[in-house]
Amino acid sequence: MSIQQQYRSRAKELLQDGSVKMVIGYGEGTTATRRRPIFITNPDDTDRLVLDAACKTNLAGYLLREGLLADQKSVAIFLSPSGVRTINILASESQLSSAQVVVLGFQIQGDTVKALEGTKASDFSPLIAKRKEKRKAQPSHEMTRKLEQMTPAERFAFWEGEFSRCIKCYACRAACPMCWCRRCVVDNNQPQWVNTSSHTLGNLEWNLVRAFHLAGRCVECGNCSEACPVNIPLHLLNRRMTEEVLTAFDHYPGADEHQEPVLASFRKDDPETFIL
Amino acid sequence: MAKIGVFVCHCGENIAAKVDCTKLVAAMEGHPGVAIAHEYKYFCSEPGQESIKKAVTEHGLTGVIVAACSPRMHEATFRTACAEAGLNPYLCEIANIREQCSWVHNDGEQATQKAIEITRSLVEKVKRNNELQPIEVPVTKRALVIGGGIAGIQAALDIANAGGEVVLVEREASLGGHMAQLSETFPTLDCSQCIMTPRMVEAARHPKIKLLTYSEIEKVEGYIGNFNVTIRQKARYVDMNLCTGCGECILKCPAKKITGEFDCGLANRTAIYTPFAQAVPNKPVIDSDNCIYFKNGKCKACQRICPTGAINFEMEDELVELEIGAIVVATGFQVQNTALYGEYGYGRYPDVLTGLQFERLASASGPTGGKIQRPSDGKEPETVVFIQCAGSRDPSKGIAYCSKICCMYTAKHAMLYAHKNHDGNTRIFYMDIRAAGKGYDEFTRRAIEEDGAGYVRGRVSKLWEENGKLMVRGADTLLGRPVEVAADMVVLATAMVPQPDSKELGKTLGIGYDEYGFFNEAHLKLRPVETATAGIFLAGTCQSPKDIPDSVAQASACASKVLALFSREKLEREPIIATNNEATCSGCWGCVLACPYNAIEKKDLTDRAGNLIRRVASVNAGLCQGCGTCVTFCRSNSIDLAGFTEKQIFAAVMGL
Repeated sequence: MSIQQQYRSRAKELLQDGSVKMVIGYGEGTTATRRRPIFITNPDDTDRLVLDAACKTNLAGYLLREGLLADQKSVAIFLSPSGVRTINILASESQLSSAQVVVLGFQIQGDTVKALEGTKASDFSPLIAKRKEKRKAQPSHEMTRKLEQMTPAERFAFWEGEFSRCIKCYACRAACPMCWCRRCVVDNNQPQWVNTSSHTLGNLEWNLVRAFHLAGRCVECGNCSEACPVNIPLHLLNRRMTEEVLTAFDHYPGADEHQEPVLASFRKDDPETFIL
Repeated sequence: MAKIGVFVCHCGENIAAKVDCTKLVAAMEGHPGVAIAHEYKYFCSEPGQESIKKAVTEHGLTGVIVAACSPRMHEATFRTACAEAGLNPYLCEIANIREQCSWVHNDGEQATQKAIEITRSLVEKVKRNNELQPIEVPVTKRALVIGGGIAGIQAALDIANAGGEVVLVEREASLGGHMAQLSETFPTLDCSQCIMTPRMVEAARHPKIKLLTYSEIEKVEGYIGNFNVTIRQKARYVDMNLCTGCGECILKCPAKKITGEFDCGLANRTAIYTPFAQAVPNKPVIDSDNCIYFKNGKCKACQRICPTGAINFEMEDELVELEIGAIVVATGFQVQNTALYGEYGYGRYPDVLTGLQFERLASASGPTGGKIQRPSDGKEPETVVFIQCAGSRDPSKGIAYCSKICCMYTAKHAMLYAHKNHDGNTRIFYMDIRAAGKGYDEFTRRAIEEDGAGYVRGRVSKLWEENGKLMVRGADTLLGRPVEVAADMVVLATAMVPQPDSKELGKTLGIGYDEYGFFNEAHLKLRPVETATAGIFLAGTCQSPKDIPDSVAQASACASKVLALFSREKLEREPIIATNNEATCSGCWGCVLACPYNAIEKKDLTDRAGNLIRRVASVNAGLCQGCGTCVTFCRSNSIDLAGFTEKQIFAAVMGL
């Protein structure tokens, strides 16, 4: 039985026996390589679910749609390992209860999709721990390295060029599962810290503020870059930030749901290398 | 309509020499909302303050900017002046054009431009300032003194004698600290024990002092007047209520070869022991690391011999929680690890000693009963070499500071030795003789002139053993030639260093410390006993190296600060506190974690029927210290800080 078939029947069972009220998964998209999120409540609809190597979007953010989990009922959701980490972060930030989330875990390797054992987010902790070590050992991405080798002026020019295309549509914010604030800081106009119009300074402010707000929280799912209509490589900023918190604080976002936020927690043996 | 008054202070020449104050005044006069702008030589002086007050009433000012020194210096001064003139003090702000401008720039023109920008920025801020009212909080009239050395005891006694309640915490089994270890004290040569032990007894018996020995600070929460302190009382394994201090157990204990800390390793002690004969409380404690029963599960000799059944091997650490109004930190010092000086052979040669070990040899309560003998063979040394600055004033070994007491105690050591060994010789290698203090220079002169202390100006480069002698090679820089001395004993004037865990304690208390771990005072000259954390004071060597008179003086100063605090029924607190916007709060509790004062609580938002809608953060105004940590953490900017609101900061930044 293919993994797609296997997960379709699993979803059907979950809906039939009433253990979940909804399954969030992937369906056919507008083109052969695109997948769109679908929300299934009727067991007969589970045949619409698709699971293949094109299912790249992190769906976890949909769990936070206002009121979805308010009735304390469970929802099943298709999640890659970075999606599971997202659940851990959202739980540690009190945005959801992981007990309400049934994980249908999968992993994409090249063109194939592998099923992952486990149903609760905590079942995946050993897998995530392994990925942390792998991430530590992983050499910097080619583009990240290239950016690091630039002089500050060259780097600034690079980002200035990239951000010049930004149209402030906030698609990155809408796509990011970590952007769950009830009111985004840029929507606060008393005072207007970040300029709303689309020009160099305002664009720079917006994208850097977002990168800082994701420090120690980004799971590198890639939703932001995928969503960006003008193809700004936003993930590069977040990737750099992830490396920073990993080396400086040994912090791998979403390791488990009891993880404390890296910028609000304090260890007495912190080397405090940033204090002169 | 804003009516802002700008007052530009020359600070004598401190500001006016760099910043063109007239130009600054002219620039401010033209700024929207500025009603008047004046300059004056010293606005902090009486006529200066009067002129501000007069301007406030005459022009009906709605805000005041004093462009002067750092707000840490005179913010309170000018805010008080404004309050006296009827203006809410929080409508007065300081533009720092001294520390942040005139003192740090060379170019007058650019400095003037910067001063204009700094002042303009504050004008924009003050336009958005709100009238704030101080918050009143009660005061718990009970002081905590941490450390039972001479500084801690002095502070405790001074507070208690004035009627204040004191909790005196000492981590060792007895009061006394380092002073109890000393032989005689400079510059009067009175016996340390004779002046120290009566104080220890007085502190222990004082009805207003609760003594907690063998105890450490576990946790400190709260703020001035209202600290909550958790103290760990370590298990003594001896019931203090039953023990009579008869000492039978100590005689019976079979584990006798444990290096004694009080005698600095020159004598051994048993596993159940009192640190020294005059200990307060004079009741033993079991060192569980070295006790045979704790190691092997067999022995209990002490328990069998104890006539009152006071030994309890099942005893556990106890946590005591106390409400405290003020804290005096008097945790003292340690002697630097002399292993750093391989060239002086400490640890390799038994007759190379630290100054503190020499104190024990010279002390009547010491292992030799006050006879100065070599630890190696018990012979009286004929020649003793003293090496000063063995650690201090040597940045290459990590300590740049002067330990302050070594010049004096080395002179004293030479004197004590001369008094006990009339035919002995002394050689003191020194860099400078620092003897500033009442009777101090006279004391070192006396050591040289009457007691024949042989001072050699220069450093020692090498020390080795030859034919039973310690050969000391150094330089006599005054004569410009090398010196070699065959010594029987060498005493190193080792540096005073902070307690090894002082940084930990600093973090527990929330007070600052320097690169070595000495605690930071609020202002070195004007607030030397206060820390930057209100309600926590410093006494003695935990702040910097000090001798006994200085430690005692500082301890009494601490007591006066504590008593001043206790003289008030209520404290007025700055109304600089955070508030949370419940409409935009997402309840991620990042602020709850980030808050160092546990001032943020979770609050339920319910509908009219009482059903829970959401949970949001809520700031407890009594606990909030206005540090702003939560403000910076909140990604949605839901938290704002009174006096430093988003709007004010934004306006100040845009004013630049």
